[in-house]
Amino acid sequence: MLRDGRLLVLAFSVFAVLIGFFLASVAEHQQMQLEKQTVGATAKEQWDTQGVKNPHAAAHFGIYVFKPDSPLASVEPGLRQYTGQTLWLEPHKRNGARFSPAADQGLAGRFGQASAGFVLYALLPLLVIALAFNAVTQERELGTLRMLHSLGVSATRLLLGKFIGLLLAFMVVLLPAMAVAIIILYQNFDLAGDDILRLSALSGTFFMYYAVFAALAMSTSIHFKSSRLALFTLVAFWTSSVLIAPRLGAAAAEMMVPIPSATAFWAGIKKDIQQGLDNDGDHQAREALFKNQMLKQYGVAQVEDLPVGYAALKRSFNDSYSERVHALHFDRLSDAFERQSRFIHIASLLGPSIAMRSVSMTLSGMDLAHQRHFEDAAEKYRHYFIGLTDDWDRERSHGTERGALGHDSDWGGVKAFSYTPPSVSFALHHAPADLLVLLAWLVAALIWLLFSAKRLKP
Amino acid sequence: MFPNKTLLEARQLVVNYKNHRAIDGLDLSVPAGCVYALLGGNGAGKTSTINTFLGFNRPTGGNVFIDGESPDQNPTVVRAKLAYLPENVALYEYMSGLENLSFFCTLANIRISRQHAHDLLMNTGLQTDAHDRRVSTYSKGMRQKVGLAIASAKQAKVMLLDEPTSGLDPSAANDFARRIRAAADLGMAVLMATHDLFNAKQVADRIGIMKAGRLVEEFDAHTVAHDELEHKYLAHARGLL
Ligand SMILES: Nc1ncnc2c1ncn2[C@@H]1O[C@H](COP(=O)(O)OP(=O)(O)OP(=O)(O)O)[C@@H](O)[C@H]1O
Ligand SMILES: [Mg+2]
Repeated sequence: MLRDGRLLVLAFSVFAVLIGFFLASVAEHQQMQLEKQTVGATAKEQWDTQGVKNPHAAAHFGIYVFKPDSPLASVEPGLRQYTGQTLWLEPHKRNGARFSPAADQGLAGRFGQASAGFVLYALLPLLVIALAFNAVTQERELGTLRMLHSLGVSATRLLLGKFIGLLLAFMVVLLPAMAVAIIILYQNFDLAGDDILRLSALSGTFFMYYAVFAALAMSTSIHFKSSRLALFTLVAFWTSSVLIAPRLGAAAAEMMVPIPSATAFWAGIKKDIQQGLDNDGDHQAREALFKNQMLKQYGVAQVEDLPVGYAALKRSFNDSYSERVHALHFDRLSDAFERQSRFIHIASLLGPSIAMRSVSMTLSGMDLAHQRHFEDAAEKYRHYFIGLTDDWDRERSHGTERGALGHDSDWGGVKAFSYTPPSVSFALHHAPADLLVLLAWLVAALIWLLFSAKRLKP
Repeated sequence: MFPNKTLLEARQLVVNYKNHRAIDGLDLSVPAGCVYALLGGNGAGKTSTINTFLGFNRPTGGNVFIDGESPDQNPTVVRAKLAYLPENVALYEYMSGLENLSFFCTLANIRISRQHAHDLLMNTGLQTDAHDRRVSTYSKGMRQKVGLAIASAKQAKVMLLDEPTSGLDPSAANDFARRIRAAADLGMAVLMATHDLFNAKQVADRIGIMKAGRLVEEFDAHTVAHDELEHKYLAHARGLL
């Protein structure tokens, strides 16, 4: 097979396509990183130098935060296109990372973008098929299978040998591209130990994924009389695994777990804030209750006599209620998205591609779980700096007087948002279902291969 | 010279393909050192017989034995004892003759040195300068020689040949016949399906004529006259006998 000029041509095209996509992704990734850094730095500087103003007005100036992407995102950009990269943090309101709940892109859209990841999970299986579909049918057609059979060559040994040879040939095709990709990564990013672990885990799962296709292709080649029929069947399987399953799964998931439209989502939050959760009473009732509490706590008869600014007190109270409502709705939304992605897995029966794509997004830190981890950290940070401005506003005013002022020294004292992305174990913790599906496919494919070997007819 | 032990035997063999009966109660035996030529028109059942010995076909009825073993029950043992040469020897086109020989031997767990491989090819009469050329440039006769080398590397007790000389020029066919004869003289049992009467008479010890899945006539090749053989063969083919 190695002598077959085919392999060289294939190796070269795979190399070119992969490196091409990869370089483009790396360039895009770096461009984004740079933009994020400059915009982030400028935004923080503008925040720090707001001058003298009311602390709450300063809070309304807002702060931009950015999700730092793992270098692996240049292999697998995952949800980047759909979730956006910036998060605008402002008072009273929690924003999604342009993660509009009514994503115009259906779930299916998340599966079909061209990237190095797309080449790896969608195109390379085709290459495996191209290398393997006639592994046995060709020998049968040429008659060498009869020769081998009459020589007493054990079918199992022959097929396992072919299977291993096939995987090796495939590695020969893939290794140059992988080596260059790793060099490019090293040159362009500071690879942390965690990135290396993620990269290794990713390579391992991809290898499993290709082994599934290789074993299936070999078994198919055993069962069909002609190479053409085997190829036809395998391409049909590829289509179902790579193209049909994700769409079918997405359609099923969208039906089973409806996601509210953006309008409905925000309206729901607004309504819960206005009317109150459970028996909390509506906005006015809650405020009245709070006012009485404060008067009692400070031992005064009217708000004008409070030693601290009542506007700031009331705002903190309302904000914390609103945060509760937001958290509830955002968690519900995230859970719904998570449940959706679990439902997509039903379609994994049609092929291992959904699971592979899902694992690769998770290991690259570009999936829903990582997005949620980031957004939760950003929300915490929002509480932190809005809380600070509220403290200043409350302490520097009293009663209904609203003369509190803050200075650059205050603004500059607000710590910058520093976010450490979760480690590879977080990623693995969020991928057991996918890994299990892949493993199940691999085991099934290998068993079928061994079983087919036993039934091999010359 | 040899204790003429029966190495190939078919007893009341019946082979059906679906509803079609290809072999219909065949009795045949080939002892060590004997070349048995199987004649018969197209569709007489020659290939089916050979394939049954190889284990490619399963007997519908009756039995076949190779050195006392049934290919159905002991496929590995049986295959170790026999060598097979079809009309078109299937080889890997992008490998040289030498590489094909080594490759097949490796897969069959036969250890041979490079020198031994060269010797084996030489013994079949394949020119030395062809050993390292791609098989895709070989003629039919040259492929046949590589096939023969593979068979002899195996040191099989039994050789099954399916029209080995068809398509070979007379001198190549003659050369091939001599090598088969030599192998048999060393104690091999050879079963050869052929349409080449001349070749059969030249190389074989026994000749059988098959028709509709049965053996209809057997001769001692050393005593039957060529004319008589031709006469009988044609008569059977025309349905006169
Ligand atoms: N795989 C098969 N499926 C169905 N019928 C078959 C098959 N192989 C052979 N036959 C039939 O069995 C009969 C015997 O065929 P076989 O190939 O053994 O004849 P043969 O003597 O080798 O003929 P030839 O001289 O043409 O090679 C024929 O009628 C043929 O049509
Ligand atoms: Mg035939």
